Amino acid sequence: MIELREISKTVRSGDHSLTILHPLTLDIARGQFMAIVGPSGSGKSTLLGLIAGLDAPTSGSVRIDGVDITRLGEDALARLRGEKIGFMFQFFHLIPSLTAYENVAVPMEIARTADIRRRAQSLLEEVGLTLRAHHYPAQLSGGEQQRVALARALANDPPILLADEPTGNLDTATGRYILDLLREIHRARGTTIILVTHDAELAALADSRLVLRDGRAVE
Amino acid sequence: MRFILQMAVRETRAAWRRLLFFFVCIAVGVAAIVALRSVIQNVREVFGTEAKALIAADVVINTTRDWTPSAIEIIDRRLSESGATSRTETISSPTMARPADQSRKVARAVELKAVQPAFPLYGSITLEGGQTYSHALVEHHGALVRPELLTTLGLRVGDEIIIGRAEFTIRGVIASEPGRGMGQFSLGPRVLIDFDDVPSTGLLGLGSRAARQWLFKVPEDRIDALVTTLRGELRQESATARSYRSNEDQIGRNFDRAENYLSLVGLIIVILGGIAVSSVTRVFILQKIRSIAVLKCVGARSRDVISIYILQVVALGLAGSLLGVLLARIAVGAIPLALGASSPSILAEAHYAVTWSAALQGIAIGVLVSLLFSVVPLLHVRFVKPSLLLREESTPPTRDLVGLAAIAGVAAALVAVAVWQAGSFRIGVLVCAGFTGVAVVLHLTGRALVAVVAPLANARSFPLRHAVLHLSRPGNQTRVILLAVGLGAFFIVGIRSLQASLLGEFSIQVSSDSPDMFLLDIQTTEVDLVRAFVTDPASGAGPAQFLPVLHARVVGVEGRDSALDDPLEPPSRGRGPEGARPRGGPLAREFTVTYRDHLEPNERIIAGTFWRGASPDAEVSIEQGIQERSGIKVGDTMRFDILGRMISARVTSVRNVEWRDSRNGGFMFVFRPGALDQAPQTFVAPLKGPADPAARARFQHDLVARFPNVSVIDVHEILETVRDVMRKVTFAITVVGGLVLFSGALILIGAVAMTKYQRVYEAAVFKTLGANTRTIARMLLFEYGVLGSLAGLVGSLGAIVLTWGVSRYALDIPWRIFAGEHAAGVLLTAVLVAAIGVLSSLDVLRNKPLATLRAE
Repeated sequence: MIELREISKTVRSGDHSLTILHPLTLDIARGQFMAIVGPSGSGKSTLLGLIAGLDAPTSGSVRIDGVDITRLGEDALARLRGEKIGFMFQFFHLIPSLTAYENVAVPMEIARTADIRRRAQSLLEEVGLTLRAHHYPAQLSGGEQQRVALARALANDPPILLADEPTGNLDTATGRYILDLLREIHRARGTTIILVTHDAELAALADSRLVLRDGRAVE
Repeated sequence: MRFILQMAVRETRAAWRRLLFFFVCIAVGVAAIVALRSVIQNVREVFGTEAKALIAADVVINTTRDWTPSAIEIIDRRLSESGATSRTETISSPTMARPADQSRKVARAVELKAVQPAFPLYGSITLEGGQTYSHALVEHHGALVRPELLTTLGLRVGDEIIIGRAEFTIRGVIASEPGRGMGQFSLGPRVLIDFDDVPSTGLLGLGSRAARQWLFKVPEDRIDALVTTLRGELRQESATARSYRSNEDQIGRNFDRAENYLSLVGLIIVILGGIAVSSVTRVFILQKIRSIAVLKCVGARSRDVISIYILQVVALGLAGSLLGVLLARIAVGAIPLALGASSPSILAEAHYAVTWSAALQGIAIGVLVSLLFSVVPLLHVRFVKPSLLLREESTPPTRDLVGLAAIAGVAAALVAVAVWQAGSFRIGVLVCAGFTGVAVVLHLTGRALVAVVAPLANARSFPLRHAVLHLSRPGNQTRVILLAVGLGAFFIVGIRSLQASLLGEFSIQVSSDSPDMFLLDIQTTEVDLVRAFVTDPASGAGPAQFLPVLHARVVGVEGRDSALDDPLEPPSRGRGPEGARPRGGPLAREFTVTYRDHLEPNERIIAGTFWRGASPDAEVSIEQGIQERSGIKVGDTMRFDILGRMISARVTSVRNVEWRDSRNGGFMFVFRPGALDQAPQTFVAPLKGPADPAARARFQHDLVARFPNVSVIDVHEILETVRDVMRKVTFAITVVGGLVLFSGALILIGAVAMTKYQRVYEAAVFKTLGANTRTIARMLLFEYGVLGSLAGLVGSLGAIVLTWGVSRYALDIPWRIFAGEHAAGVLLTAVLVAAIGVLSSLDVLRNKPLATLRAE
């Protein structure tokens, strides 16, 4: 269960302050597949970052399974992400110095999960990349990189998966393939998925939608 | 821990090309340290042996009286306590020698030295004609003599001479001997006899001028303590103790200076290596920021990430250090090959090997320096926010107490490393202070530069405009390059200038135009005749100066405030007549004085005025040291007793005498011509004698034959010994200085070349946008050229301050500015940095941009 209470984000830009996200209250039930949509600069990614504890809100609180994550320190947040939250980015953000297999293994190594090798291989198999396990990100196509990122996001079998424009950098067919994978994961594992997109067609596939414009929820 | 270990290995594997720079920096730095330290240690051993040969022992105790039972008891006790391994006694005395053949009425003042079988404890006596020295040669009234004596007395090996009441057979000719290099005047050529034969000469009776010496070998670590103890305890016995390390003479001081310089060089190599490591680590971390954000996003804590990189740095530091030791072994092993067997250098005499202590020290320093210099850049990891992956944003600067504490801790550790490396607290702190000062100036210069060049951002030239923008854009490297290169230039130029200063200092002492012969006791009536003899081209001697000398005692100083009583004046002395106080302390001895109407080149007036021309009123100019010790001021009237004649002279000036350059002698008291013209006096003539030994002996023989009352003191042999040693030291310093320049430049090249990784992406984008290779190259040339010139300028100016501090407080030599070194420093730094900037980016300039863009 994710509970957002009056969360807002204001950043300073030179002498001005700019509110990216106006106070927002929202509950996301366990197992829900939600899409956050809106044009560029509407605050979608900021909201996602706040839910993941990647960023601190200017006001309000974020509770995950009853724990107010805005009160946690950086290290505790890191642990929480390692255990409960998987994250996918528009630009994949794989570690360029690690192979696909190692990128997937890293979250498990940090969390000291047992049986890392077998799990990492099975995740790569799930995303169809068994043969590319020992390739570096620079040797993979955009779609392959995003599949590795998905496998990495699922490494510790988190109850929550956050995806920031996961298909934004991919061609339509590959984007569709990634989306199918996400839906399959949602169905099979019951993972709560929050997907940020500005593509209304993709958003239509979700259970529910939150539409943001200029940092305010309009729908 | 397993995760940290795994990540460190993966990171190293993936970034090995970039880390190679880091690795090479450490390896070169450590190689330089280990090679230098080893060479220094090897050379020091030779320095030590040379220095020991100069006094023929580790420790020498001298007295001009007979050994008293209490003195012998003290010496025996202290030596057995300090574990002395061998000892020998010698007696030296000035005396006369003449042929046993009564028909030949010639005689010559000689320096007699009587030795026991163990002499010399260090060094060796070499004889002419390939004869080997053994004590048997002098036993039973044998004598070894210098060739000058044979010439002046017209003798040959096998002839007999009379010394005191005994007859000796000349059994060999001395070419060189140890224990004869300490700068003391000798009254004549050396005659070496057996210690047991001394009593037969009768030279040890009442009024004897014999000096007795005990020479000892003592374990190295006990020497200083032993000398200090003996000095205190033997003061009452009128005996003095000194070690080969005592720097009471010029040579000893020069050894000290050379050693201090070499320690300084070792330290600076470490700092240069550290600067490079710091620069490399910073660039490395900057490139890793996104990966760090990802790690944090998937659950890693800051300390995990820092641990990964620290582990990596330590492992690389260790591996680099080991490679450095290997490189040092190769380099040190190659030295004898490079020098060749015939090289007349101290380096050729040393035994070459990497010493264990140098290797361990190098490895410790390599790991420590890489760690210390990496800590501060690595702390930046804490501020990397995972939200960076969602949105590019700069972290607002916050007050970072942990960072400040770390910087303070690292600074303290670095000062400790510096002091350890320099082997001297003073040098370590001085260098660190210079380092900090220059770093601050460079930082401010960086800010000023950005402000000053800002208007050029509107320049019409595209490369110039973008070069200026690079200097001031966010995340620019202006300050980093200025700091690394500026500090590098600071140390390298500093070392070069100090080297020039030190060698300049030595060269005065080894200059071949110094007088090496002194003619004494020339009567006033003989001056013109002797001058004619000397200047006769047939004599082969250089031009001589004739200085009038008189022997004077200071009887009193009048017109002095009693509050300025000389603290050294013995309390038992009362007031002299007419209220004048006889002075004790520094004035209680006989002085050799002179008069003249000009200053010598090594003199300058620091108080009062020096006279012009002669005057019947007596005026005296006093030397600065004696003025400081006695407290006499300009305007005081001093009373002198000159062989029974009382003369009152007003002090009209104080002179600073550069004793290091006292080629024409130095005088404590110089009088104005006029008052002393009629006083009893003789003349001294310093001159450069003929170079050829045979001509030299003939010159002395002819001179003494014609002017029997004139004495000749030949210091050629002593000067040659000093020159020889100083030439060796000079060569060693030059080689080491060259090594610093080479390795320092190599390290800086690495540090600057590393910054190319921040240029790669930009250059690729520019190429995509249509900029050609030439435009980008010119852009880089402008940017790096400006940075190099400024860094060189600040570094060179800072080096002036460094050389001042080190010359004055650590090496104890006069401070000199070598404009050429500093100008070359600025120019070469600018050219080097600009060249590296362009050359290191050559691959970017040549390659297709897509690969770079994809990789980024």
